[in-house]
Amino acid sequence: MTMTEGRTGAARSFPAEWQGRWSAAHARIDQAGYGDLVAGAYRSAGPIVAARAGPAEAIRLGESVSFVAIRSGRRAACLLIDAALHAAEAARHPSELTSWLELVDDIARRAPKILSAFLQNGSQVLDRLGFAGLAVFARMGLDLGRDDAHRLAFFALQSPEARQLLERQHPSASLPGLLPGLKPYLRALWAISPPIVETPGDAPEAMRRRAGFGGGGVRLPPSYAGFPASDQKQLHRATLAHIGAHHRFTRKKFPATGLKPLQLALVSLIEDARVERLALCEMPGLFALWRGFHVARPEGAPVAITLMARLARALLDPSYEDPHGWVSKGRALFEEAAAVDIGSQQLSRHVGGLLGNDIGQMRLQFDAKSYVVQPAYRDDGMGVWDFGDDNPEVPYEMQAPAEGARLEQRESDDGHPEPDTLSDDSSGRAAMVEASEDVAVARYPEFDYVTGRERPDWCTVHEPAVPMASPAALHRAIEQRADLASRLTAIIKSSKVSRQQRVRRQAEGECLDMDAAIEAVIARRSGQVPEDRIYGRYERRHRDLAILVLIDTSASTGERVSGRSETVLETERLAVAMLAKAMTELGDPFALAAFSSNTRDHIGYQRIKDFAGRYDIAAEGRLAGLQSHHSTRLGAVIRHAGKDLKRQLSYRRLLLIITDGEPHDIDVDDRRYLVEDARAAVHQLRNDGIDVFSIILDSNAESYAIRIFRRQNCVQLKSIETLPEKLPGLLLRLALQ
Amino acid sequence: MTNLDAYRIAKEPFYRSVGGEVGLFEAAYRSRMPVMLKGPTGCGKTRFVEHMAWRLGRPLITVSCHEDMTASDLVGRYLLDAEGTVWHDGPLTLAVRQGAICYLDEIVEARQDTTVVIHSLTDDRRILPLEKKNEVVKAHPDFQVVISYNPGYQSVLKDLKESTKQRFAAIPFDYPEAAGEAEIVMREAGADKSTAEALVRIGARSRNLKGRGLDEGASTRMLVNAALLVAAGVPIMEACQVALVIPITDDDDLRDALTGAIAACV
Repeated sequence: MTMTEGRTGAARSFPAEWQGRWSAAHARIDQAGYGDLVAGAYRSAGPIVAARAGPAEAIRLGESVSFVAIRSGRRAACLLIDAALHAAEAARHPSELTSWLELVDDIARRAPKILSAFLQNGSQVLDRLGFAGLAVFARMGLDLGRDDAHRLAFFALQSPEARQLLERQHPSASLPGLLPGLKPYLRALWAISPPIVETPGDAPEAMRRRAGFGGGGVRLPPSYAGFPASDQKQLHRATLAHIGAHHRFTRKKFPATGLKPLQLALVSLIEDARVERLALCEMPGLFALWRGFHVARPEGAPVAITLMARLARALLDPSYEDPHGWVSKGRALFEEAAAVDIGSQQLSRHVGGLLGNDIGQMRLQFDAKSYVVQPAYRDDGMGVWDFGDDNPEVPYEMQAPAEGARLEQRESDDGHPEPDTLSDDSSGRAAMVEASEDVAVARYPEFDYVTGRERPDWCTVHEPAVPMASPAALHRAIEQRADLASRLTAIIKSSKVSRQQRVRRQAEGECLDMDAAIEAVIARRSGQVPEDRIYGRYERRHRDLAILVLIDTSASTGERVSGRSETVLETERLAVAMLAKAMTELGDPFALAAFSSNTRDHIGYQRIKDFAGRYDIAAEGRLAGLQSHHSTRLGAVIRHAGKDLKRQLSYRRLLLIITDGEPHDIDVDDRRYLVEDARAAVHQLRNDGIDVFSIILDSNAESYAIRIFRRQNCVQLKSIETLPEKLPGLLLRLALQ
Repeated sequence: MTNLDAYRIAKEPFYRSVGGEVGLFEAAYRSRMPVMLKGPTGCGKTRFVEHMAWRLGRPLITVSCHEDMTASDLVGRYLLDAEGTVWHDGPLTLAVRQGAICYLDEIVEARQDTTVVIHSLTDDRRILPLEKKNEVVKAHPDFQVVISYNPGYQSVLKDLKESTKQRFAAIPFDYPEAAGEAEIVMREAGADKSTAEALVRIGARSRNLKGRGLDEGASTRMLVNAALLVAAGVPIMEACQVALVIPITDDDDLRDALTGAIAACV
């Protein structure tokens, strides 16, 4: 575009009153010395942006171009102009472009080296996630830490986090969104509940395209590429129905020793057909589900891969006709063997072997590297093979689900592995990996208040074992305050927290007790003295309360309480021990856990006592063994504890957090961020009917505590040493209000 | 004395025996031993009692127990009429006087202090004291108590007292095996064989979810209801929605999963 053309464009796009400002804007860029490339690009882009998003935005773009050119260089400025053209087109309202430019400025300010990568790939992200999604994406990337290489990989869409976010475009079609429905689906069909995990973002491409199983777990791709969002659920279902059929009917793994890739693929293919045929006897409706994804047609070049897809279809679909000799031979062999004994796994080994020889004789090429099982719902075929122990190609395959299995297994209940999983009766399969000492047990999203959205799977909660220590000192401390302990028991005992119950035959009350009233009248008529207790009322008679107490063990709890020899943690410990003792005596359900965090990847949640467990010497030992370290990242801990509480059936469910300061973590600079996340987590729990209370051992708590917990749900305790005697009273005050 | 003819069962209620339960019940009845029927909801406990009452030629008095039921609801009470007060026998007293089978359905729903009134009837005394009336009713030689009890259904808080439990002989019930259940569905709903078999497969799928989101899987009764709708011309997928999926859970994910599993079965 020449200067003249640019001016004519400008004349059309800028109304008369903007002409002057536009000239000034590009004159500034022209004279700033960013080079002709930048200046020319801005001159020609300005009118287009003005036409798409309004003249004000075109001029606003000029400011960003200057800023970016200074912070990140001329090349980035050129990229910005290109990206702005795209963003202007995508914007439905000028304000969207404004916030996009603000986002660019923000990145240029915080991470100038990263900006080019963002501008290059941002358009792709924008197309998939929209402006709001792009903002989430950018802020996630910026918060990855100060390591530029890591951030760069993120913005270049190379890191697992970035890919995961991109693939989760539609919540209704993404795997995490579908899993709550898919798990019971598999359970209903096949009565199994193996851990189901999403294939990690850093897995090889081949693994990301197809599902797999092994190691006692099932791995599903985040989404099936090339299929519309509306198909994703059915595909996942078809996959799970198919894998369930393997679980039921592939009783023993095939030894893989000495087999070529083509033979492996063909035996897998026949075995797939065999288990599906068996499954259809039980659930004929699966035919329609599976059949829909068989799209192979009797045409095209007879290469091994397409012939195999055609055979797969021929074996499932009796109405499918295929003239190719190899396909019809495969079908005949299969049907013949199936008529003899379809229950025999040898059938697959035998028929698959014969068909492999034929492919060889036809001199058809089979490229194992590029081979992807067809149709898409079938697993990658590896789960039915036993590769021996030392095969270098398999470990990844087996590891991924096992890794996930651990995540899920611990997640399933109060830390007790589920007995009824895939591994229970699969002789040839690797047993479920035992949960080791310090494993990641769950991932949680974190709420970003700036974008108003959650960052999916942002925090990883670990459950490290708690080192045991002798509870002798704790016992002595409790002993010293024995009077207090019994008072606490009395306080809790006298509290009535339950559903209301109807009490009959009262001398006074809010309603008539009909039975009593009738009896009284009868008594009077028959000349007897009537009973005067003829009223009823509703009252709370019991305590139906489940409490989970969370103890902050961040580094600051290691400091001494002012003017005393104990540390904050020791005080917390004593208070909790006394509360636990009282609750145990009364038989009320309660749980204790401690928390601390060391970046979003390592949030420690130490279980001292679970609801199901007993408060015994071991639990006391764990309580005594707590140590102060790391930081306070509340949100994920609240979500994790909430999951335990949600399973309790009590009338009131309380989460009590004893903390000594504001949420903070070393990978977060923004003070407000963790506060807002904790607030969101508290809010979420409240929606689930769980009350969250906090006792804050910090005299400056007002700034954040009220924001997180609401004023009536938190208590600030300035004299920390009084915590032990005050805790139960505070707790009940909070609970009964 | 009230005539119990209305409580007699004239026509044989269809019941398909799944094990030795008919023989066991007859043996227990011979000594009028109290019997407890244990099993999930809708598996045929009530039908079984009806069938046995018909078989033994005894009237059957059924009481559905509930939380607010008092001992007077079972035993009887004085009521008022124009003349003054009149005593009305409760269902239990009626059965005791006239030798009926008294069936207390879902007994754990009643409060424990209510259920103790059956204690004197369920040991060798076989008497029912009517305190208010100052009368002790000796049980008719044919009188028997039968209770039903759904172990998976009530909470920990609701359970029978040990002293109540130990008075009963218990017969366990469960959903019949597939072929038997299909026969029941065919018979009860007039369904054709393939519909009945599909519904039974669906039932089995839903029972896989017991304890995994569902408190109970679909009962035989639900399957019969679905079959009745199918027989009335409702397409099977829709019939299952109405008779099964929607009543059984309010969780959208579970409904979705169940619908998928139903589609896999038809």
